[in-house]
Amino acid sequence: MANAQSPVLVAQGIGHLSRSFLREVGGVFWFIVNTFEEMFERMQRGRVPFHAASFFRHTQRAGVDSVPLAGLVSFFLGLTMALLTGYQLQRFGTERLIPGLVAIAFTRELGPLLTGIMLAARIGAAFTAELGTMQVSEEVEAIEAMGIGPLRFLVAPRMLALFLLMPCLSTVSNIAAVFASSLICKAYFSIAFPYFLDLVKDSLLIRDIITGILKSFLFGLLIAAIACYRGLTVKGGAAGVGTATTSSVVTAITTVIGFDTLYNVVYTTFYPT
Amino acid sequence: MTTPRHMVELRDVCMQFEEKKVLDGVSFTVEPQERLVIMGQSGSGKSTILRLILGILRPASGSIFFKGLEVNRLPRRKLQRVRQHMGMVYQYSALLSSRNVRDNVALPLEELTDKSRAEIDKIVDEKLELVGMKDSKDLLPDELSGGMRKRVALARALVLEPELLLLDEPSAGLDPVIASVIDELIISLSEKSKVTSITVTHEMDSAFRIATRMAMLYQGKIIEEAEPEKLKQSKNPVVAQFLSGSTEGPILEGSLDAITKK
Repeated sequence: MANAQSPVLVAQGIGHLSRSFLREVGGVFWFIVNTFEEMFERMQRGRVPFHAASFFRHTQRAGVDSVPLAGLVSFFLGLTMALLTGYQLQRFGTERLIPGLVAIAFTRELGPLLTGIMLAARIGAAFTAELGTMQVSEEVEAIEAMGIGPLRFLVAPRMLALFLLMPCLSTVSNIAAVFASSLICKAYFSIAFPYFLDLVKDSLLIRDIITGILKSFLFGLLIAAIACYRGLTVKGGAAGVGTATTSSVVTAITTVIGFDTLYNVVYTTFYPT
Repeated sequence: MTTPRHMVELRDVCMQFEEKKVLDGVSFTVEPQERLVIMGQSGSGKSTILRLILGILRPASGSIFFKGLEVNRLPRRKLQRVRQHMGMVYQYSALLSSRNVRDNVALPLEELTDKSRAEIDKIVDEKLELVGMKDSKDLLPDELSGGMRKRVALARALVLEPELLLLDEPSAGLDPVIASVIDELIISLSEKSKVTSITVTHEMDSAFRIATRMAMLYQGKIIEEAEPEKLKQSKNPVVAQFLSGSTEGPILEGSLDAITKK
């Protein structure tokens, strides 16, 4: 009997999972739409959607304060990457490919991806915990009860801060990694700094830079939206905030990697060279 | 559309959370300048009524009107405007924990009006003075006692000069003197500024002091509604037991037996 039922149960499980996945995707999508809607409604009435002070507080926290982390992690990764690839390439006498390899890898792929993962952990978690605590202590409801749009007031400045700051942080990450690889190139492979720069300039295309920046904007928006969505849908007190924070980080990191893959598939399909 | 004569009207409102039916056909009206007190056991749905009037919750069925506007059918933008005519004081104050007292009270003015900083400061000072909290302007909510927080929440609810004040347990956790001050304030607001209020409370002294009319909510229904003096004479066993605080009567039937057996 159990055997006869198991395919049904499996199908039921898959159905249940798909439904909750689609519900979440729809939830985040409409969350972003509603946030922009509330902002534009406010702007139509000739008012600023949120105070500049609130926006700059979040850019300071999400952006400026994240520079050391993004810079340092990328610096170390740049060192490792240059060193490991350098030794392999040296065997074929092609170590002059290191500058281009690191520059392209970071500008197109690793810079935005690493920054996205770091920000999801550092800022996404903070946004979820902060909004989640406000949600369970009725602060969000009180804001709503005053006639203030909570999405405009709480979510919009956070979303915009992360959206605009992600490309900047990706750039910091790229520069740190390229700088680190230049040190390795100089120390281990006798590539002088001016020659290193020439090699980077020769190999790096404008479209690599644009691809990386576009990705960063997208990742910033997704991380902020997922973090704020999870925060504002918290249920179940302090434990609920904890669960939502974990879930926010996991979801944001998975989404960033997923979207990165999707972006690359679409990009290479339409621009194969 | 209802006649705008009523400040608030609930028509046959039903509300349930998952399987639990909280409100089962609640109907009442509140006239301008009236001070309605809703009484009932914990978890009987009193606070839910306030949230329904604010449009935070939507009823399963029935209608809620505020000055003739059907709150439960209003689109978000209109609902936000309607809410600006209401002030809500939450049971646990719901002050924004990261903003100090001044910023909490100033929030609706900063976000919803074009007033200058000087004008906002003047209004904030005035409202904080009204609740006796002017000296605590720079403190964070964490640095205040429960009673002080509630007074700040009341000041915040009053800054936009609301026509309707919704109070969820306004005297709970306050010392008797401050509780009386708050009660007097609610009375004077309705008499001088023509503010209508709906208060949800367990504190019977406070309820009888404030109310011009009282309603008893029991098992999802308003079982009695009358002026305070008439309610005191009520023959309804539930109302009589609730007012006397006796353990004998229909309210604890079943659960009291279980406690005694233990």
